[in-house]
Formats: sequence, structure tokens, C-alpha cells
Amino acid sequence: MRWAIAGLLFCALARAQSHNVQTATLSNGMKILIEEDHAIPNVAMYFFYRIGSRNERPGITGISHFFEHMMFNGAKKYGPKQFDIQMEKAGGENNASTSNDLTVYTDWFPNTALELMMDMESDRIRDLAFDPKIIESERGVVYSERRTSVDNSNGGTLSEQLRAAAFIAHPYHWPVVGWPSDIESWTMADLKSYFKIGYAPNNCTMVVVGDVATANVLALARKYIEPIPRQDPPPPVRTKEPPQLGERRVVVRKAAQLPLQMIAYHVPEAKSPDTPVLEVVAALLSRGQSSRLYQRMVDRDQLALSVNAGKGDTFDPTIMTITIQPRSGVDPARTEKALYEELERLQSTAVESEELQKAKNELLAGQYRQMKTIAGRANLLGRYEVFYGDYSKLFTVDKEIQAVSAEDIQRVARTYFTEKNRTVATLLPEGPVRPAGRGRQEGNQ
Amino acid sequence: MKPLIGLSMTLAMALPQFAQVKLPPYTREVLPNGVVVALIPHAGVPLVHFHVLVKGGSESDPPQMAGLASVTAQLLRRGTAKRNADRFSQDLDFLGGTFTTGFDAGGSSVAITAEFLSKDFDRGLDLLSDALLHPSFPEDEVAKEIARRLDQVRTAKDNPGAAIRSYFQTAFFGRLDPRGNLPDEVTLARIQRKDLVEQHQKLYCGKNMIVSVAGDFDPAAAKLKLAQTFGAAPAGTAFQWVPAATPQRRAQMLLIDKPDATQTYFIIAQPGIDRKNPDREALELVNTVFGGRFLSMLNEDLRVNTGLTYGANSQVEQMRLPGAIAISTYTKTETTERAVDLALEVLKRLNEKGLTAEQLESAKAYFKGQYPTRQLETIDQLASVIGEIEMYDLGRVEVDGLFSRIDAVTLAQVNAAARKYYRTDNLTLVLLGAADKIRDSVKKYDPHMVEMSIRDPGWGGK
Repeated sequence: MRWAIAGLLFCALARAQSHNVQTATLSNGMKILIEEDHAIPNVAMYFFYRIGSRNERPGITGISHFFEHMMFNGAKKYGPKQFDIQMEKAGGENNASTSNDLTVYTDWFPNTALELMMDMESDRIRDLAFDPKIIESERGVVYSERRTSVDNSNGGTLSEQLRAAAFIAHPYHWPVVGWPSDIESWTMADLKSYFKIGYAPNNCTMVVVGDVATANVLALARKYIEPIPRQDPPPPVRTKEPPQLGERRVVVRKAAQLPLQMIAYHVPEAKSPDTPVLEVVAALLSRGQSSRLYQRMVDRDQLALSVNAGKGDTFDPTIMTITIQPRSGVDPARTEKALYEELERLQSTAVESEELQKAKNELLAGQYRQMKTIAGRANLLGRYEVFYGDYSKLFTVDKEIQAVSAEDIQRVARTYFTEKNRTVATLLPEGPVRPAGRGRQEGNQ
Repeated sequence: MKPLIGLSMTLAMALPQFAQVKLPPYTREVLPNGVVVALIPHAGVPLVHFHVLVKGGSESDPPQMAGLASVTAQLLRRGTAKRNADRFSQDLDFLGGTFTTGFDAGGSSVAITAEFLSKDFDRGLDLLSDALLHPSFPEDEVAKEIARRLDQVRTAKDNPGAAIRSYFQTAFFGRLDPRGNLPDEVTLARIQRKDLVEQHQKLYCGKNMIVSVAGDFDPAAAKLKLAQTFGAAPAGTAFQWVPAATPQRRAQMLLIDKPDATQTYFIIAQPGIDRKNPDREALELVNTVFGGRFLSMLNEDLRVNTGLTYGANSQVEQMRLPGAIAISTYTKTETTERAVDLALEVLKRLNEKGLTAEQLESAKAYFKGQYPTRQLETIDQLASVIGEIEMYDLGRVEVDGLFSRIDAVTLAQVNAAARKYYRTDNLTLVLLGAADKIRDSVKKYDPHMVEMSIRDPGWGGK
């Protein structure tokens, strides 16, 4: 049974491969991945630019993310608002996201809008406009985004402080949205030079999945995007995070009903052979109600409302973070202790084969679920291409996960989950807190 | 509308033509005990998705015990006839399966979903039915769940963007309406094991369940297994929904104080429509232009033109009972008055001037262009759409005739809808922010405003 499920998933992923991803590279260096899928009359077109907050420096932190916003504010042919006006009128919708490593533009539209989208995307990559008035207005929007996602969010605030403590040298130190003073002071010159380094076609991978004809996508890409000249890619990120020399602790005091805790360990980048092992470790720890941390902290000991372990895909070494929402009246020292005991158990005792297979099954089924939609597949193909160097690794990831052994888990847990390598960030409620378990005044019913 | 800037289109777009999308063929059967089973074979993905609707939802909660239906649903998997909570989780996770519980829009039904690899159809169905039909509600699990829920009520207030929705629900609908009677420290603490057992017996019966199954499976075999499994449930009595009560149109204002907030969240709302209202397509299109997409009137004025917010939108609730039409956004504390004024001004503009023919056409294209990925792409979407069609007796035409109904909406109809529903009088205004800094400036909207602290227990309301 255990192998049967793995076998079936393998078939499933292999079948996805037979969906037949076509690739091409334009003469200006932009790589294109295309997967035809005619189930619904829609298309997902994603652009993965290899530029993110890791390419910034103090003084311009957050500028990659600001750029993501500016890309919707007008270019030469399609002026301010036109990208959205034309797209919505053609039945399409868009979004974009910026991370430490990437800026990704995501377009979802009916098959009838393909040429319009190619035209508008090429326009803004080549000829973005820089209107001082629009820049000021968008600065307000970005600050509002920061206020919502960081300043008025306990999780956002704590996570920002955690990263800033865990990384002292590498650019993963600063937040993607940027420090407040930088948001307030980017200049037009900063923006223009940043656009030049980040938005080279050779720094981008385009992924198109959906109701398209491959030849048509390629013809349109050649017409609209190929004429855009190649440029120097962003300079390499030289700074490496030096090894951590001892535990770091951060306390945030903030108005809150309950405390919050995030504990991070330095772990390697996406391309490391330890990545699939760490994925399995994260699943063992917190995926599903049968996971170790859920069972121990949420269920058995009732110390936490929720617990989640995970790490993102990154170009450079990153952190795995365990986020714990302690219950009311529970000292965060207790949740912390329980976590360390569970991590120590991973180090000292080999995982039983059934539990290991369960974690793998959860991971594989989860991965497969992401492939249900054209948007999900565009996202996965692009991420495997940029982070793992080859989209086709998406179709062999099941083998890599299946190969993870109990010994691998122990080795990885011993390597990374050490006291010296961890950063502990705790948010403690400030100001008057009402006592636990007291009801509201009677008579309100 | 403002003149379009830089409209030098070489691609002078003809309006896109969209073929009518249709539901895939599916079968529907009523078992002798009343369970409705819809089977939607959808090959291509080796997954199967189960979607079960249990009529009643939070509307079945006794007023003094808000939260009963949701606690019942959450405990379904925490101990059954065959498995203790731990065993259930181990079995589910070993299959890489999912199991979720929640409500449909408006909370008129409980929705339970589960998804498995196709080859695990039998094992998945066994897990699902074990939880749905044979939960044992062990005392210790009940105690743990209630305690967790009490803490969740508290921690919900650490997320002000979500918390304002709860304050709004309570203020807008009032505590006599199930939608305004949200679980809190008092109502949750009253729930006992016997209430859960009773609630389960009452609702999880044949006449009260709709089971939709979508995915890659053999329909004949599935039909037999589902009939066998769900046919074993007692027929019971169908839950009787309370008649629709339209929320009253009245001016009211609530200010929730969060002294450390650096931005103010606010919702401006008025009564809207129910799920079957004949104006719903027209309203869908009006709302798309007003606040339902990125370059909507609201987001254009509050975000794109002024930088006051990261996002402003409006929503037309479409639930069994008439819901709200609600504008929702946030802005830094200092610009609270300016943002509320501007939102009201945009509302007034819509009410007075309506849409242009060009805006209407754009809204129709947008709606039709987005519909397939929002509703019909995946097996979970299909199962949910068909479950809803069955629950509200809407018929296939709900989807199959949708684009024709959208196409048929005229400019006169949308503008009549804008005038009728997007009014500027008797609004509910809920603000959450640093009261000391905004109180004086927002009093002008309603001198009788009610104020409370985010530290006060519960969600306010009468």
C-alpha cells in the first residue's frame, strides 16, 4: 500500500509531464515555457524576473516591491491605468508578487486576449514611464501595504524582527516591503537605475499554460518581446551570511490578546540536496493533525492554538521557521521547550517507516493538488525553472522525496536544529490584558 | 468617467466573444432516506473530491449557543465509532487526503469537503462517512475544542482586518439574526457534549444532506458505494429554515477602539439581495464596476488616484437570506476622514450617474472572462457549484444560462439597480482604529455613534 500510493503519484506526475511542456529561448535571452491545456478557454501567463529584495542595498530596501507596483502605472504605448483598463475590458485579471528573490507578474485571461497581453507586457518591460506624481501616489499605496501587512499585523511585525536578527549580513536581513524610511525616500534616479538592472528580458522566464497554440504563443513572443534588447543582468549578490555563533533572541512588545512565537534555523538554498529532506521534516513536524508538533503542542499538551513549520524556495541559504500561537495563559517558554524536545527526538530516534511514508504521501498529494489549475501549473513550472534550474525537475521531485531515508532525517535534524543556529523571536502582549476566560456582561444576549 | 488617457490603441479591440460555458454532465439521485447524491465524473486528474452540504448551518444554532454547528462540525473527526481522533488523523494523512469543515456563504449550511487520490476512493469514503455519520464526541475532545475556540475568539482580535468583519456582522444583522449572532466567550462556554450529540442527530440525517462527488472515478461503482454508505443514515427530518428577514435599512455607526492602530479599517454597508433575487446579474455587473475588480471606481479613487489605501472594494453578498452590500477598505489614521468622505462620494456618484455603456460592456467581458477559472476549473469548484444548485434548487440553467443572462442585462437595468441598491442614506458605518485620534473627525457621520474597545469581550451588538 505504501508503495502503491507512491507509484500512483509517480504515474500522475509523469502524466502531467506528457502534457508536454514546450520550451524556446528568444534571441534576447528570455526563456519561454508553454503547456497547452484546452479544458477551459483561459490562459495563465506568468513572468518570473530574477530580481527581489536580495538585490537591494540599505537606502533602497523595498524598491523591488515598489517596482512591482510601478509596472502597472503606465508605459509608452499603454499609458497610466491602461494596463488594467484594457485587460479588464478583455476579460482578464492580473496580480504580481515580490519576494526576497523574485518579482513575478501573473496574468489570467480568456484565450481571446493573448495578443493584447503580449503587447502590453512588452510595452512595460521596454518603456516603463516614470511620472513623479504617480510615484508619489504609489508611495502612499506601498506604505499602506506595509501598514497592513507589518505594522498592524502581529505576525508581520514579529517575522520582520526575526529575519532582521537571523540575518546580520545577507540581504535577507531586510523586509521585502522595505524599511519605512526607505519607502519614504526612494528617488527617481534610484528607480530608473533599478529598472535597468532588473527588467532585462534575459533576466526573465515566461510561462504560458492554458488554451493556447504553442506556435501562436511563440509567434507573438517573437513579434512583441524578442525586439527588446538584452541587458546586463543584476550584479551578483556577493555577501554570504556568516555562520551563526550562538542563539539570538528577540522580544517584541506590542498590544495583543495572545503572545506569538517564531523560531528559525538557518538552512540551505533550494538547490541543496538537503531540500527534499527538509520538506519531509517540515511535513513530519506540522502537516496535518497527525503531525508531531500538532499532536504534542495543540492536542496532547494543549500549549498552542496552531503550529506550523516551513521554509520557502530561495537562491541563497535561508531559514526554516516554526511559528507557534501559544494558548492563553501559556508561558511561551513552555511552547519553546516542547518544540526543542520534539526536534531532539528527530535527532535521536529514527523515524518509523510508516510515519515517514505518511509525510511523503502528504507532500506528494499536496504537490499534485497544486497542479489542478492552469495558474498552479504556471507557478510550479516557473518556480522549478528558476529555483532548481530546470522546470522538468517538477516531474521527478516525487522520486527525490521518495528517496529520503530515516537516516537523512536524523542527519539533517542534527546539522541544522542546533542551539547555536537558532533565532527565537517572541511577541509579548503589552498594556492591559483582560483576564482569560471571562465572559461578556450578561444581558447582551 | 474621466477621459481615457493615452488611448492610442493599435489593437483597437473588438469586444471579445465568449462562448457559453456549461456544467459537465452529471447525475442526480435521491436515496430512499432523502440524501441527494450528485455524481460529476471529470476525468484527467486522478483525484476525487467529496462535498457534503448539511442544511441548517449556523442558522440551526440556538440563539444562546452560537457556535454549536461549527463546533459540531469541527469535532466530527475527533473520535468516531471506528477510530479515535488520533487514528482518524493518521489514516487521513497517510492517504495524503484533505478534510475540511466550514459553512457555505451566509452560514445556511455546513459544508464538509474531503479529497483523495482516485485509487483511494473507498478508503476516503470510509473516512468521510465515519466522521459524518458516526462521530462519538468524546468528552475530552469536546472540552479541548471548546477551550481552543475560546482562545480563538481572543486571538481573532489580533487580526484587525478580519476582526472588523465580525463587529460588522453583529452590528449590521443584529444578534437576533443568526448571521449577527457570532460565537463568543459566553455562547461557546455554554456548549455541552449532549448539545453536540443532539445537534448531530438533528442535522446529519438523510433528508438534510446533499453529497456531490466530482473527479476521476467509475460512476457505476461510485453510485453503488455512495448509495450503500449514505443510504445507511437515518432519514430524520429536514431542517426548516426560518423565513427570510430583510436587514433593516437604518443609520448606525460603531467605532471600535484599538489604541495602538496606525490605520483605520472601515466598512460602509446597506441592505442588498438574496441568492435568488432577479436583480442579481445586474447587481453583479454594477458591483464589478463599483468595487469588484482592480480598476473599480472605489479602488481607482482611493488607491490609484490618491494613494490613500492599498485596497478598496465592495461586495454584494448572495446568501440564502438577504445580505449586505458593503464597501470595505483601510487608510492611515490621519487620512480616515478623507477616505470615508471619498468612499461616500464615489457611492453617491454611482447612485446618481450610474454606469456608462462602455463600463457595462467591460464588466460583462470581465465577468465572463474570469468565470471559468473561478467556478468551473477544478473538481472542488464543480462539486461546490453543483451542491449549491441542489441546495437552492437553482437548476443547471444557473450556470448553463448564465452568460445569456449576463448578456441580456441592459444599461437601463444596471442603472436602475445602482439607484435602488447603492443608496447614500441610512448606512451602517463601522470603523476600527485609534479612537482618540479619529473620534472628533468621524462624529459628523453619526452623532449617536456607539463606541467600544477591542479589549471588550464579544463582538458588541444587540
